[in-house]
Amino acid sequence: MLDEILNPYYLQVAGFIMINIILAISIYITLSSGQLSLGSAGFMGIGAYTSALLTIHFELPIIVGILAGAVVAGIIGILIGIPALRLQGVYLAIATLGFGEVVRIIFVNWESVTRGSIGLSGIPHMGRELLRFFKDIGFDPEMMGLKNNQFVYLLVLLILVLINIVLIWFFIRQNKSRIGRAFAAIKMDETAAEAMGLNITYYKVLSFAQGAVLAGFAGALYAHVLAYISPADFAYHRAIEILIFSVFGGSEVIWGAVFGATFLTLLPEALRFISEYRYMIYGAILVLMMAFRPQGIIDASVLNWFKKKSKSKRGTNHGTRTNKNN
Amino acid sequence: MVLELTKITKNFGGISALTDVSFKIEQGQIFGLIGPNGAGKTTMFNIITNMFLPTSGEISFVGEKISGVKPHQITDKGICRTFQNIRLFSQMTVLENVLVGGHCRSKSGVLHSVLRTKKQRNEENVMHAKSLELLELVGLFEYQDVIAENLSYGQQRRLEIARALASDPKLLLLDEPAAGMNESETDDLFDLIKKVQKRGVTVLLIEHDMPFVMKLCDRIAVLNFGKKLAEGTPEEIQNNPAVIEAYLGSEEDDQIA
Repeated sequence: MLDEILNPYYLQVAGFIMINIILAISIYITLSSGQLSLGSAGFMGIGAYTSALLTIHFELPIIVGILAGAVVAGIIGILIGIPALRLQGVYLAIATLGFGEVVRIIFVNWESVTRGSIGLSGIPHMGRELLRFFKDIGFDPEMMGLKNNQFVYLLVLLILVLINIVLIWFFIRQNKSRIGRAFAAIKMDETAAEAMGLNITYYKVLSFAQGAVLAGFAGALYAHVLAYISPADFAYHRAIEILIFSVFGGSEVIWGAVFGATFLTLLPEALRFISEYRYMIYGAILVLMMAFRPQGIIDASVLNWFKKKSKSKRGTNHGTRTNKNN
Repeated sequence: MVLELTKITKNFGGISALTDVSFKIEQGQIFGLIGPNGAGKTTMFNIITNMFLPTSGEISFVGEKISGVKPHQITDKGICRTFQNIRLFSQMTVLENVLVGGHCRSKSGVLHSVLRTKKQRNEENVMHAKSLELLELVGLFEYQDVIAENLSYGQQRRLEIARALASDPKLLLLDEPAAGMNESETDDLFDLIKKVQKRGVTVLLIEHDMPFVMKLCDRIAVLNFGKKLAEGTPEEIQNNPAVIEAYLGSEEDDQIA
């Protein structure tokens, strides 16, 4: 039974869900200040290549590589953001899509460093490095009755889940503060927001850079989970896919991004038994969705409904405790 | 002297929206800016808040030159405005709208906000209390959790005033606050602006409702085709033949006020 659940294939799909959630949050956070950026695949690639090259050539620890990947993506995000954020709506979308393609073409053509379209292999694998570490300190997965590869994938998944919990916590808190209100105000009416004393440029660059850092971070994790990357992983269809996660799930709330990434990563896997039709069904669901629920599956009213339900449950359990949300 | 405008000129291409307009507003005054449609009143507001740069001329606010300062810094210095065509954050609640207005009077950055440090929590509590007090002032306390776009027109106008007051302005600019209001709403607005004045805020307003302006303002300037036609107390304005001719119509001074 446990062996069934701890199937490495399931664990790996779950790991990809976690990485995709981070990517979806990166889009959510830029959208929350009213900016449609399609550069996430580019930033993801920057994070992935930075971390991969640093760990391969300089033998830095994986964690240093991943953090460096996120930081480099963030810095490039700021540099791109300052001029690009003068653009609005579709113009920004096209400019950032162009940026993503430029990044990909650099990866293809800078062969001496990136090995071109063949891609980078032999990237240190997060799970295997950890396994080696555990074996060094005298812990063997056999002691828990796990096979080596089960242990590896389980450990990686656990780390990714923890990262996601921290990220979601971070952005929920940010969203409930004056920073989140500033993002929302800029999204709703830029002129009014500026007249109320908000430094529009600062907040726009902030949310754009946060999105870039997250995408770079997710890209670096991706590199060390897969141990192989190539420029094709970061092409424009990836950018569109990430956007769809957030838009499908609901781009107004962070849970929309979480739901969208989870559901849309699982769907093609769940539909595997009708192999050639699965992407058709995937597409049909998206079309229906845009027709009947353009704001995405999860929005504020859905969340309120859940809150009310859980509150009324709590009410029956604990008598008349009033719960004040702030 | 709160605001001093010296020879403000603004040209849009070949059209001059304002020509050599000067006036001064004293601390604590309610100052009215009136004139027919297209006289340049809203352009003047946009210049004072630096949304437009004047072609020439100088603005000084509490003795400091403010030409060329960014719009959000103007708010920081103590000038805040409302809009002629209501620009609330329509999907936010009433309370959130006012909280955004207090943005430039708070400082917590990303780290403080995420870690909810003591400083940040104190700041949020102070902002909440102040926002609620302002909602009380404009009579929207009971509506604090309502989404702004669901308010009535008159309520939305009052919410805009509360939002602007949240930035602790020394000078409040109101762009046609009584537009589209019925008589009782206009009376409430009159009381509200008087209360705002009592808080020590200087008010500059654009308005077309003449009885309202004449009753409310301490001093009035009249613009016509981008030029200042007259300036004075409401009585002086009502009796100024040039104003009557250009603005109120020459045939009959139909018992104003």
